[in-house]
Amino acid sequence: MALIETKDIIKDYDMGKVKVRALNGINISIEKGEFVAIMGPSGSGKSTLMHIIGCLDAPTEGNYILDNLKVSQLHKSELAAIRNKEVGFVFQTFNLLPHLNVLKNVELPLMYAGMSSKARIKQAKDILDSVGLSDRLKHKPSELSGGQRQRVAIARAIVNNPAILLADEPTGNLDTQAGSDILSIFSELHAKGHTIIIVTHDMAVANRANRIIKIIDGKIVDGNIAA
Amino acid sequence: MAISLRESVEIGLADIWTRKVRTAVTVVGIILGVMSIMVVLAIVNGMNKSTLQWMEERGGLNKIDVHRNWEMDRKDWSLASFSLSELKLIRSLIPEAAAFTPEISDRSTGITKGELYFQTSVSGVFPDMTIVDEWNISEGRFINYFDINNSNNVIVLGSKAATELFSNHNPIGEYVYMQGQALKVIGIMQEKYLKMQGGWGGENALEYMNRRAFIPLTTMLHKISPNQTIDELSIKASSPEKALKLKTKLENILLNLKQGKKLFEVSSIKEQMDQMKQNSLMFTVIFVLIAVISLLVGGIVIMNIMLASIQERTREIGVRLAIGARRIDIFIQFMVQTILITTLGGVIGIVLGYAILNMVGTYLSMELVASLSMIYAALAVSVGVGLVFGIMPAVRASNLDPVNALRNE
Repeated sequence: MALIETKDIIKDYDMGKVKVRALNGINISIEKGEFVAIMGPSGSGKSTLMHIIGCLDAPTEGNYILDNLKVSQLHKSELAAIRNKEVGFVFQTFNLLPHLNVLKNVELPLMYAGMSSKARIKQAKDILDSVGLSDRLKHKPSELSGGQRQRVAIARAIVNNPAILLADEPTGNLDTQAGSDILSIFSELHAKGHTIIIVTHDMAVANRANRIIKIIDGKIVDGNIAA
Repeated sequence: MAISLRESVEIGLADIWTRKVRTAVTVVGIILGVMSIMVVLAIVNGMNKSTLQWMEERGGLNKIDVHRNWEMDRKDWSLASFSLSELKLIRSLIPEAAAFTPEISDRSTGITKGELYFQTSVSGVFPDMTIVDEWNISEGRFINYFDINNSNNVIVLGSKAATELFSNHNPIGEYVYMQGQALKVIGIMQEKYLKMQGGWGGENALEYMNRRAFIPLTTMLHKISPNQTIDELSIKASSPEKALKLKTKLENILLNLKQGKKLFEVSSIKEQMDQMKQNSLMFTVIFVLIAVISLLVGGIVIMNIMLASIQERTREIGVRLAIGARRIDIFIQFMVQTILITTLGGVIGIVLGYAILNMVGTYLSMELVASLSMIYAALAVSVGVGLVFGIMPAVRASNLDPVNALRNE
């Protein structure tokens, strides 16, 4: 059984009178330890798919099985626990909390996991060290460069040691150099055994992955077989 | 596993610190509400306390007064007095009374001593007066029944009367004059003192009592002012409750004595006190209501600002949900924050309330009684306002959809 399995997933958005079908029968299978890129033009449904994989959103129809768990049958608080422990998100706009310093931002997932203050400070410091930011602990996000902010976001995503790392256009707001640094971090994490899924429309980014899944108008057009 | 309260408080305090101006604006309503509750309660408590003191200084809650009924027929006016034998009869009919004294006051003659003239109110009384008014002698002795039976020429001076007439000399054994009668000073009353409320008319609210002087009732009737009649009685019951019963009984006795005509009015201090308490209760209720309304307005303002704040922080809530916050965590976070803000307002309100009480108290030289229980009440009220008005914003925040919240710009 693969780590991620979707069966005929359909996702409709209710826009008042019109229903918009964002996903139309998605079947994918991703094994543990894969590095997958999901590509497609804007509006193709790739972000929606990522939200469903990350348990932020639920499909209208179809089944999603994550690590042998039928996600559609889980309670909301169980979904929160999965988002906390099994999934790490990295966003295009970083989504750091502006009023918290770097260390506090990275501590957040551990706090929601119920870890004691002392333990989580240590763990967060270790992770920030591994992304090369141990000298920026007390800085606010606004005092950092884009590349540094994204590294903080990655640290926050992996601090709870999740099985899956989900990234939505992680280099979209970065210059080439910073983007390439971030991608190198993803490659390192992949080498350490993390399962990584990057949503992008940048071919250079997608080429870092072992497999590219192409999605157009809510349907998979290419790449649904493990490489 | 929800985040701990300590963490919620930390998050809340950090939010308050980052949004200082907003918090300040938010809490103004609560501050005003708590402040007005404090001030009103302290004023009411102070008024009750000084009223009670006044009553006690005037003879306490056991006291009953009989005086002329001002609404009686003019033609009955001459009948409205007691003879000495009627006094004896009345006294024998109320054996349960602890003390009994009639009183005749002469306010026109004044006391002379050589060249000195002291204008004052001299009263003819029975020995029981000291018990009825709970007012004891400080030097010498008071009038006794021997003085009454013999209409002795003796006088007891109030402390102010004594110093006015004798300055620093010991007056006991000396003589003063009234209507050509030489009266031997046998005693001096204790000084009465009650701090004047509101700062008008001098220091001591009871100074007029220290100016008084007392002689035996019979001396007054037979020697000093023979035209006066006995129309005032003071009676002391053994308890405030018995005073109410005794009052009714006295009313009946006096009606029977005077052929069913209501020539006398009987009043009990306990009754007057209850009336005053009722009045001050109404005052309290009205002002507490005003304070409650301002707290409600304050609460609504807080709710409104919290709703706006959640709107503004939708993305933050989305991020928190994405990294594993559960709905209950978000709910608690905003609930705790609202309560922190209202409690902060409460604390500021208490401090400002105290400052105002101090200022008003000194300026008006009024007694204001602020108690610890008022502080607890004010704190409880501000936490309560946070609880009530925090629920709706917190529910709204915790019901946000993670994906929509993350998309929010």
